[in-house]
Amino acid sequence: MIRHIPQQPAVWPPRLAIVAVACLLLGADDGRRGRGGRPQSAAGLPAAVTAAPPAQVMEVAAVDRGRRDAVVVAARRIDDLLATHWREHGVQPAPRLNDEQFVRRVYLDLAGRIPTYDEVTAFVASREAAKRAALVDRLLESPDYVSHFYNFWADILRLTERPQKTLPFEPYLYYVKDSIRTNKPYDEWVHEMLTADGRLWENPAVGFQLRDFGMPLPYVDNTVRVLLGTQIGCAQCHDHPFDHWTQKQFYELAALTSGTKMRPGPQPGQEKPPAGTRRGGAGMRDPEAAAVRRLVQEVRRETERPGAVQFVLANATKVTFADRPLALPHDYQYDDAKPLEVVSPKVLWGDVPQSAATADGRARFAAWVVAHDNRQFARTIANRMWRKVMGVGLVEPVDDFRAENPASHPALLEHLTDLVYELDFDLREFVRVLVSTAGYQRRAVAYDHAAAEPFRFPGPALRRMTAEQVWDSILTLVARNPWAVQRPTPERIAAAVSIDVAHADVATVERAFDAYLAEFGPGRYQRSLQQVCGYRGQLLMRASEMPTPLPLGHFLRQFGQSDRESIEGGRTVATIPQILAMFNGPVTHAMLQPGSVIFDEVTAHRPEEAIDVVFLSILSRRPKADERRIAREEITTAEAPAVGCGNVVWGLLNTREFLFIQ
Amino acid sequence: MANLTTCVDGVGDEPLARRRLFGRIARAAFGVTVIDGVAGRLAAAEQKAAAARGGVNLIYLMMRGAMSHLDTFDPKPGRDEQGETRAIQTKTPGVWFGEHLPQLAGLSDRVAVIRSLTAETGAHEQGTYAMRTSYAQLASIQHPSLGSWALHVAGKASRDLPGYVLVGNGNEHPGCGFLDPGVTPVPVADPALGLENIVRPAYLSETNFRRRLALAERIDRDFQRLHAGGQIAAYNQMYKDAVRLLGSVDLEAFDIAREPEPLRERYGTGQLGQGCLLARRLVEAGVRCVEVELGGWDMHRDIFDELPEKTAQLDAALATLLSDLGDRGLLDSTLVVLGTEFGRSPAINENAGRDHHPAVFSCLLAGAGIKGGVVHGASDARGHSPDRDAVTVADFNTTIAAAMRLPYAKEFHAPNGRPFKIGGGGTPIAAVLT
Repeated sequence: MIRHIPQQPAVWPPRLAIVAVACLLLGADDGRRGRGGRPQSAAGLPAAVTAAPPAQVMEVAAVDRGRRDAVVVAARRIDDLLATHWREHGVQPAPRLNDEQFVRRVYLDLAGRIPTYDEVTAFVASREAAKRAALVDRLLESPDYVSHFYNFWADILRLTERPQKTLPFEPYLYYVKDSIRTNKPYDEWVHEMLTADGRLWENPAVGFQLRDFGMPLPYVDNTVRVLLGTQIGCAQCHDHPFDHWTQKQFYELAALTSGTKMRPGPQPGQEKPPAGTRRGGAGMRDPEAAAVRRLVQEVRRETERPGAVQFVLANATKVTFADRPLALPHDYQYDDAKPLEVVSPKVLWGDVPQSAATADGRARFAAWVVAHDNRQFARTIANRMWRKVMGVGLVEPVDDFRAENPASHPALLEHLTDLVYELDFDLREFVRVLVSTAGYQRRAVAYDHAAAEPFRFPGPALRRMTAEQVWDSILTLVARNPWAVQRPTPERIAAAVSIDVAHADVATVERAFDAYLAEFGPGRYQRSLQQVCGYRGQLLMRASEMPTPLPLGHFLRQFGQSDRESIEGGRTVATIPQILAMFNGPVTHAMLQPGSVIFDEVTAHRPEEAIDVVFLSILSRRPKADERRIAREEITTAEAPAVGCGNVVWGLLNTREFLFIQ
Repeated sequence: MANLTTCVDGVGDEPLARRRLFGRIARAAFGVTVIDGVAGRLAAAEQKAAAARGGVNLIYLMMRGAMSHLDTFDPKPGRDEQGETRAIQTKTPGVWFGEHLPQLAGLSDRVAVIRSLTAETGAHEQGTYAMRTSYAQLASIQHPSLGSWALHVAGKASRDLPGYVLVGNGNEHPGCGFLDPGVTPVPVADPALGLENIVRPAYLSETNFRRRLALAERIDRDFQRLHAGGQIAAYNQMYKDAVRLLGSVDLEAFDIAREPEPLRERYGTGQLGQGCLLARRLVEAGVRCVEVELGGWDMHRDIFDELPEKTAQLDAALATLLSDLGDRGLLDSTLVVLGTEFGRSPAINENAGRDHHPAVFSCLLAGAGIKGGVVHGASDARGHSPDRDAVTVADFNTTIAAAMRLPYAKEFHAPNGRPFKIGGGGTPIAAVLT
């Protein structure tokens, strides 16, 4: 008996023919062809994107290989706690991940993108002992890691380039990215931001305080919410009926930082000075304030250029601190104090560390937040990073710790908090431990946040990729060099913005302002990016490096990227415009262009390998037998094999398997 | 793959015929029931009739950031709190609006103003959530927005078009909450661009599009089975809806460029004006609910510099919407709501701005089921607190539900068993309902 094994369809043309046909039929050039039917270069991928990536994108702090055993031990302790938890609750853990599933997951979770064809095949083929640990270490010191964790923090810290029309925030955005790149210990990083002084481009850490420019009360609310996982915002207006924070406590806390000055002279957003204190005196005598006032008046009088005054004010914006009394609002309604009474500064719980006891209010606040006996600070970040890796916090939402909202696994949360201390607030090392647990390396399980039972972590929660992960993954299939452009440095911004306010005259301001507009004026910077990596109105660059916030209709916003106005505003909800973008949008089709990573990968292989290449490139796995049959059938019955191949690429991109992290 | 070659109507109208054919192919590929020719037309007619019988449409204008009541619909002329905004006489005797609302002042006989709304929270996100869902925001459950409730109860009016469209940022919107993902609003980022990516690239034939869809479905089968339900189900639904939408003959409803230029200008060329025009087109084409967002009302600083432009946008957009709907006979079947998360403080702060003020604020209702020329409730002399007939957010939303003839007294149960009511179990305001 002869069994027919359809190994290689006879109709497949040789490789060169595939390339030729592909260019014409699948080349996604949308009919815009030049003479002779050749695709016009204008419709093709930009050269900077198809070029080899730079030898070194950035220098990332090295991971300590010598700690690998310690990481294994730490991971095992977490696994023990999980195992007890499962036993107590009768939970069956999910199956372990195989190498293909692991490599995809860990790239998405640490590098923010799917792995390339080469990265998958090399990992699966590797016979290195502890190859998973080795991959984790490599990823944690890659530029991809910096990019991905920048996106993570950008969502939390509301990172946007113009939170105020006048303020260039690029230096702060760069600083956040750089703090991740150098792996600055979290407590140090936070302390630096809470106490920073100076102009944005001189000391970019001031961006944290400037983010709520002129709103000293919301600043305290947001800071406590993000750093201490505690919501006191309601107490800004009234005693909270279900919570124990009072309006007085809110004001006492705010009194610590209310002396933060954003520019010389009278401060935007500060309540009127309390009765009995002198008004305006300091502002009038401050020579810097006088210089600003003089220049603003001159500019206002003598130049027609819209925005020139704001340009001067951006230069005047400089964070400083001097204690200043804060009074209760005029309509304060409770018995424990009178309206307009000055409150004495006080932390919410515990004490200010001795070392800072005599420092100014802002320094006391910062010292208290990051103090090692302020366990809530470590606990909040432990829970946040656990959610980052496992998909669900032990306390949810991660910024609403309350007695009535206990952790689903208190012992584990306290253990993780201890681990944060043990690792001296090295968050990258903390993540390294979490992804090394057996608990992480299990199949994802669907999680229903409305379920009566808390999630017991039989595996990580099944998640849709974040908007940035979707974008950067598609970019992985398109761009050999996704790093054609990076965020502007503080030095570059300083060169474009900085003037000497004390000595500048109107002509100097005009000259500097024009030069600034030429580089960073509305649309200018974007246009300069378009010239480097523009493709049909899209910028083919990493999400972390893109101008922000992006317009509502952008692919990233469609997929739920935050407007960067609310804390953790990013969403992963299904909408129709996402599907339409996947169907017909320019980015999906960029990968069908000659020069795209996947196009070149397919054509570099023998035709019979094409199906494997496509599956490994997009889904990070080889096709199963029936899938291989389906794909082959498609390729051999389509009007041309290349068209069929393009259909398979498109088909895989439009699976839920692509969009969700398994 | 039945009937691909039959019943392609609209001869001479190539794109239309192609789109219909394509729609059917897509539906067939997805295993959706194929409705052809006469049967299809009958079904469509039946749906239109059903819509005419029962359905009230909703156009909800959401002013994000908290719109100042003193400077719009509840001025306090002669008081220090009024600041720089003067008051003007409306068509309704004794009723005054802020000076930047001259067109709406001329239409005051068509609208009901509620001046005694009171909210529980002065935080934007929570306030907006409460206005949209009638419930306080919780971590453990997502409540459905009003539009999703309406679709859940009354169904869609158009087969292929979505039932619910949101013009603006979809991120913070509670959407369908715990209801079926099929009643999720479709976000349109920019009304001038409409729904993007609805045209297939020229090189992609219908046949290949169909092949691609079928491929994706077959390859994804195992994954979808393994992780059935939840977010995966929501995405499956979105794929079906997207395909159905692409096959729709009514897609031009999303294209406001088809409107005459003078009308576009009357609505105003900003996000709100163009969004209202899009809303009217969509409602006309059978979309039941449209929400249009306008941000930028959070005026903590220099409020009197920022107000005139923002309020003028609102004035032109809403006034033109009301008269345009009226001209087309749609105002009897369309409820128009102007909402915001809370008000702004009567006290003007050091930066010449107004701060958050949930104690009292104003909203507006017009159209289907609403009495015109009514002012309900009042704030005190300073505009600080309700003086009489305080209206909670639940009362306001229950009034919307009542005007839309939705069963606001009925208890619905979420998947976790908890009971909920459309409108949040408030009392409808009889004084503004017809």
